[in-house]
Amino acid sequence: MARVKFLCDVDRCIDCSGCVIACKEGNHIPVGVNRRRVITLEQGKPGEKSISVSCMHCADAPCIAVCPVDAIYQRDDGIVLVNKKTCIGCGYCFMACPFGAPQFPKGSVFGARGAMDKCTFCAGGPEETFSDEEKHLYGQNRIAEGKVPLCAGMCATKALLAGDADVVADVYRERVFQRGSGANAWGWDKAYKKK
Amino acid sequence: MQRCFASVFLLAIFLVAGLTGSALAQDLQAAGLATGSSADYFNQLMLGITGDWQKYGELFTFLQGQWFSKIFLVVITAVPAVFLLHYLIIGAKHFDHDSEPIYFFSLFARVVHFVAAVSFTLLVITGLMIVFGSFFGGGFIIRMARYIHLISAMVFALPGLLMFVMWFKEMLPQWHDIKWMFIVGGYLSKEKKPVPAAKFNAGQKMYFWFAIFGGGVMAYTGYIIWGFGASLDIVRIFTMVHNVLGVGIVAFFLTHCYMSVFAIAGSLESMKTGYKPKDEVDILHSLHKY
Repeated sequence: MARVKFLCDVDRCIDCSGCVIACKEGNHIPVGVNRRRVITLEQGKPGEKSISVSCMHCADAPCIAVCPVDAIYQRDDGIVLVNKKTCIGCGYCFMACPFGAPQFPKGSVFGARGAMDKCTFCAGGPEETFSDEEKHLYGQNRIAEGKVPLCAGMCATKALLAGDADVVADVYRERVFQRGSGANAWGWDKAYKKK
Repeated sequence: MQRCFASVFLLAIFLVAGLTGSALAQDLQAAGLATGSSADYFNQLMLGITGDWQKYGELFTFLQGQWFSKIFLVVITAVPAVFLLHYLIIGAKHFDHDSEPIYFFSLFARVVHFVAAVSFTLLVITGLMIVFGSFFGGGFIIRMARYIHLISAMVFALPGLLMFVMWFKEMLPQWHDIKWMFIVGGYLSKEKKPVPAAKFNAGQKMYFWFAIFGGGVMAYTGYIIWGFGASLDIVRIFTMVHNVLGVGIVAFFLTHCYMSVFAIAGSLESMKTGYKPKDEVDILHSLHKY
């Protein structure tokens, strides 16, 4: 089976945060939890870049390795999911994650962290597919519907790519071949007057 | 007047917003993002979000993923196994409980010790439940274990401090403690020879200091871990410290339990009634003046 992948083309991302809104709105994410966020560095200066970050659905995911209750698991297509009923909110996955993907809703007893919430690649959760419980706990299951995740689906500049890793890599490779990347990207010289 | 207040308030808000804004800008500047490759960019970016993963994140992942639960498992099986062997080969020490009773622990000390014992036992049990969470299937039980862990820690703080003050003088190391350690408190033989120890022997002293200082570190690191009250790198380091110290504390805890319940027959009574038989005091606490 093909492996899925996210890829954010930093030469295309314009920091519109549409992906964040689409994800939050479409999946009814609790307040204070961001499954996806856009981060901009060097704002307003030459070299400004934005990138949309969420769970990277790592092949050898550190979160799965450290979870003391084995609440996190990986599907055959590489999507990493969490079972919120098993999760105890200890936060180890957040400490292990290189991308800051795991998020914890506040407001439990003694200020304890609630069950971990993170990007599901819009693939729902361990509950029955399309069930109300799945939707309530994890949001939409667009993968089961044959659609790409919400964030990538709505990305206006098509910076955020999601899907079969081989196809995503092909699309990106073709782009880089045509327009370059980083300081060599088309439009860079004109915009920042660099030679 | 009201308008005056409102404008001062607004000005203050603008000032605060301006300060934080410029601080943020400086942070980003400090990140010193070169117009390099996407990989360099991503590396810089993640440094800001998740700290230096390759330094502490990877170490934490390695230790928590591979080692902590295994080390805990070894400790909670090997330590009791060694004691079982000790019990079978050397056996418990028996003292004449009809001999003159000697008042050893005041009522205050016993109450404090009792509260400490209950909360500390709960801390150890719930802590181990979290370490072996997957064995219990996680979910509700382990979530409760976490809450009880927190409450027990808060409860233990008070008797912990009281014990520190109450027994500080008697727990200070003395020269004869070295002799005690060389003969391991006389526990390796069946002979009943007077052991060099005053009110507390060297083993009890080690447990005391480990529990006091270790407990302090455990309390502080635990508090930070509970609320993520520091930068992620610090939280990672604290979690590792919490686990490593936990191994030591569990080992000492098991030792203390074995000694009081099994190794010296009937010694648990002294923490309930306050009296130890003269026979036992003369041997195990030969330097104690009563």
